[in-house]
Amino acid sequence: MELRGGVSFWSLLRDFNFHFSLFNLFIMSRKSHLPFYILFTLLLLGAMLGCSMLGAVRFEWHEMWHSPIFLNLRLPRIILSVLVGAALSVCGAAYQSIFRNPLTDPYVLGISSGASLGAAIAILLGLEAYLLGIGACALLTGILTIVVIYRIASIGNRMHTTTLLLTGVCITFLISAIISFLMVLHQDKMDSIIFWTMGSFSSATWPDVAIVAPIVLVGIGVVLFYLRDLNLLLAGSETAKSLGVEVERVKKVLLLATTLMVAFCVSTCGVIGFVGLVVPHCIRLVCGPDNRRIVPYAILFGGLFLLLCDTLARTLLPPAELPVGSLTALVGAPLFIYLLYRNKKTY
Amino acid sequence: MITLSNISYSYGDKIVLSHLDTQFEDGGFYAIMGANGCGKTTLLRLVAGLLTPQEGTVMLDSTNVLHYSARQLAQRMAFVRQHPHTDFEFSAFETVLMGRNPYQHRLQNESEADWQIVEQCLRQTNTWHLRFAKPNEMSGGELQRVMIARALAQQTSILLLDEPVSNLDIAHQFEILDLLRRINREQHKTILLVIHDLNMAWQYCDRLLLLHQGGIQYQGSTREGLTPDNIATVFGVNATLTGDNIHLSPRH
Repeated sequence: MELRGGVSFWSLLRDFNFHFSLFNLFIMSRKSHLPFYILFTLLLLGAMLGCSMLGAVRFEWHEMWHSPIFLNLRLPRIILSVLVGAALSVCGAAYQSIFRNPLTDPYVLGISSGASLGAAIAILLGLEAYLLGIGACALLTGILTIVVIYRIASIGNRMHTTTLLLTGVCITFLISAIISFLMVLHQDKMDSIIFWTMGSFSSATWPDVAIVAPIVLVGIGVVLFYLRDLNLLLAGSETAKSLGVEVERVKKVLLLATTLMVAFCVSTCGVIGFVGLVVPHCIRLVCGPDNRRIVPYAILFGGLFLLLCDTLARTLLPPAELPVGSLTALVGAPLFIYLLYRNKKTY
Repeated sequence: MITLSNISYSYGDKIVLSHLDTQFEDGGFYAIMGANGCGKTTLLRLVAGLLTPQEGTVMLDSTNVLHYSARQLAQRMAFVRQHPHTDFEFSAFETVLMGRNPYQHRLQNESEADWQIVEQCLRQTNTWHLRFAKPNEMSGGELQRVMIARALAQQTSILLLDEPVSNLDIAHQFEILDLLRRINREQHKTILLVIHDLNMAWQYCDRLLLLHQGGIQYQGSTREGLTPDNIATVFGVNATLTGDNIHLSPRH
């Protein structure tokens, strides 16, 4: 394997003066990750098939494709969980670069909560029959939330993690207070509102998939288009600008695209936390900080992660279902605390 | 050529620069000096198009810098900040590779030529051996040299540096200034350098812009400008010149 600058793979391995990571070996050898992407895509498809066989009703291979339970309930649910997982992971990776902070994700920043408020209001207004109605309201409050966070984040030269995280936490508190308030006022709609505050895929239908899929695909497409700019944003706004990034425009486009994804994910399956934190972080550990690697893997592993969590949620205690949001929090919250602890020195 | 005409800038009520006119010729090695808070960094950021002046214009070859796209501007001038900092750990090689961004199409990967330019820049700044090092594994001087390498990778005709040697020990200060002088002489890049050390400016920079109280105290040749009078006015210290050295002492 020929490496950059005439350095061979073996001489590189011999030279332990360099603290190189797995990623450096990759980038210095300029190996394409395409085989890995294909491999993990196949893995994801295999996992989707495998998970669709599991559940309260188990299927044999040949009867599966004729069963209405599989076709109308399980299949849309599995596709939706993969889409939402991919979207939330990509959003997490994007927020982490935009806010230059490895501890952010749509849930921690309070954007998911913001969107859930819109969804709750839409339900009270009687718009729950139209997914687009719920989605539009969620988008509106989601954007409002991100504007507040972005304003606070822009104060001063570089924002402190604590300020950002506390803002997110406070927004979450504020919104859960408002939602409790709304629930008490409208007790008849309590059940459907509670659903939004604890994420679940149990009511996934084909129309949900039909609306979420194009939005997630477009949103991820936009993020993929700006991957190098995301890398440069990590160096700071001013540096990014002097390296040729139209910082304000790029940030606005990216925040809009990601908030759109979050809003529609929340309006179909409620608030699912920490996916955007766990997945990009684990990928970063293996392949370094380059978003051009992180985001493609985040699509695949985010989908896989949420698929597995949802499968666990519906198979652990049949026929009862666990909220998938609590499962992701079970994984994500300890990791979050660990990251906070590890970063204590730097912040 | 960079022309500043009638530039004023203030942060809130605090006026930093007022009605300033100056010019930076192509190929010059300029020292921008002055007391703390006199607007040196502000001036540099105005030139880089990072700030919008409240009054006046900064022209780069007869076009306002604010009318260039970020990409065009990044092909014309590179900016090295005072405190390079990031929480995400790109290696030195990846960091310098970012300097090639203004020349790459958005979805394009780095080409063979880009890799060679990066290698060249790392070797030029004597940081090739650090190419795999992460920011927290480098000393301040090494990190500063990597940042200069990134600016070189932008292949611009103008380099703006904001106190690149302030945090370095004396050996590394000489090393970086030697490097900058070499770049200035061999590649004819215009260099605008914010620097505090009078002796360093005296030794390395041909041209001097001395700022004082929002205006220009002196502009022209460094050797003629660093007079005891000017130094006393701007910095409030006594200075005596002996040969190639400036001796400074507090004013009593």
